Amino acid sequence: MSSSSVTNSSAADETLRAQIFQRLHPRVYLERFIAEKIRPDGRTFDEWRNVSVNVGSISTADGSALVRMGDTTIVCGVKAEIAEPELDHPEQGFLVPNIDLPAICSPKFKPGPPTEEAQVLSDRLNEALVASGVLSLSSLCIHPGKAVWTLYVDCTCINYDGNAFDAALLAMLGALRSTTLPKATYNEETGRTTCSRKTRSPVQLTRNFASSSFGVLDTSHVLSDPTAFEEPLMDVTLTVIVDDRGELISTTESGGAISEETLLRCINRAKERALQLKD
Amino acid sequence: MAQSGNDRRRINGPEESFPPVFDDEDDDDFKLRSQRKRGPGDIRPIFLQPGLISQANGSAYIETEKTKIACAVYGPRQSKTTTYSEKGRLNVEVKFAPFSCTRRRAPMRDAEDRSIGVSIHQAIVSSIRLELFPKSTIDVFITIIENDGIEGCIASGSLAASTALADAGIEMLGLVASCSAAIVGDGIQLDPTEAEARASSGTVILACMPALDSITSIWQSGQMSADLSLKCMEQCYERCNDIHSVVAQSLLEHRKTD
Repeated sequence: MSSSSVTNSSAADETLRAQIFQRLHPRVYLERFIAEKIRPDGRTFDEWRNVSVNVGSISTADGSALVRMGDTTIVCGVKAEIAEPELDHPEQGFLVPNIDLPAICSPKFKPGPPTEEAQVLSDRLNEALVASGVLSLSSLCIHPGKAVWTLYVDCTCINYDGNAFDAALLAMLGALRSTTLPKATYNEETGRTTCSRKTRSPVQLTRNFASSSFGVLDTSHVLSDPTAFEEPLMDVTLTVIVDDRGELISTTESGGAISEETLLRCINRAKERALQLKD
Repeated sequence: MAQSGNDRRRINGPEESFPPVFDDEDDDDFKLRSQRKRGPGDIRPIFLQPGLISQANGSAYIETEKTKIACAVYGPRQSKTTTYSEKGRLNVEVKFAPFSCTRRRAPMRDAEDRSIGVSIHQAIVSSIRLELFPKSTIDVFITIIENDGIEGCIASGSLAASTALADAGIEMLGLVASCSAAIVGDGIQLDPTEAEARASSGTVILACMPALDSITSIWQSGQMSADLSLKCMEQCYERCNDIHSVVAQSLLEHRKTD
């Protein structure tokens, strides 16, 4: 009786000691795992977390997607509004992506205006969507020079467990793919645009792509899809965006120097991942 | 939303944009849709899932047809202010996702967010044993993912907050259940949607602790006679007992699967 309770409490003690060690010496804790060729959550270096995408569940939005990448949960909604186009681009609509990392998703974010991290993510997502040309802005034109659609693509993070960029990009694409716009007619006499509630047509996307993020530790260990525990300990973070035809859209790297071989290896892995995600 | 302003911290769109205006050709269709499909005493089915947000101490996600709310509790943690307080502080912050309402909301917090925060604060503060956490703050963050009526938001938000607090293991006197009602003509309809609340002449939101047989908050707005408002409160109170068992059941199931 007493011996079994001793073993039970010692198992609980060990877990508590491991947790305290993780809090006090995170880098050493991670290095111990890396030495065994495994990561704290049980994945190998190359393994990706399970991804689930749920599309079209929000009725107030014109398009929506909910993405869960492991524990990282991001909700994205698309709202369409009508605006006057810019004078030098009279046939182009607007695509406005934004991501918000509110205090709800992690203890390290405090309530208030967008933090640096959120601003950087928003900017990178904007660049990714623009650089890929995923949505032809002229397809959003209602009447040249007078009325165009503006698509506000807003992501909100509900649970932040690392790698928000990949999840947010996936959510934005999912939401855009599920977006339908009502048929709009511009009345030249009154200058007003009215929409029909009955007919809706989907938004035309030109290509499909996926992003893969990696973290590099000690210049030789490349971990894909870092969690919130691993992310701040990485020396270098690397993100590769590849489309479903295997073409490279963008590569971003920050934090330090990496070898060309590492970069090529990551690009190849990203291509495999894009094919994987296609299904 | 008319003005996106020059918010330098976000990607900006055009200076002014207007939500689409629909022509009224299918007005009949719309009227049919806003007719109530359930009885006047029936509330919408509640789906409540605790423990959704792994980063938080406690969390809950609630979904009732078209209202979706996520709630996270962080705490007790250190108070930012240096003034000593014998009792802990409860801080409730509500945020609407930009795509949650029919008209896009600016990401900035405005008066509506704060007033909902105050309502939920009042509903749950008396159930928490704050005297056990001096100098600490309990932060409750609520994100409204889809909004179908402010009354529904406040009621569901209070439920989610109470569940999240229980999930975080914070000592409470009891679970808080909350229900809303609207006066339409001479009749009372429980749990109104946005369309129903707009068509009504007044609404009542009641929050209570059925375990202790006590009421924590009542918000009444609009025009109604005193008798009618008392009847509303009684009906809400009865319904809260059922809601309480739903919340308790979901917490038990969550613990069993842990």
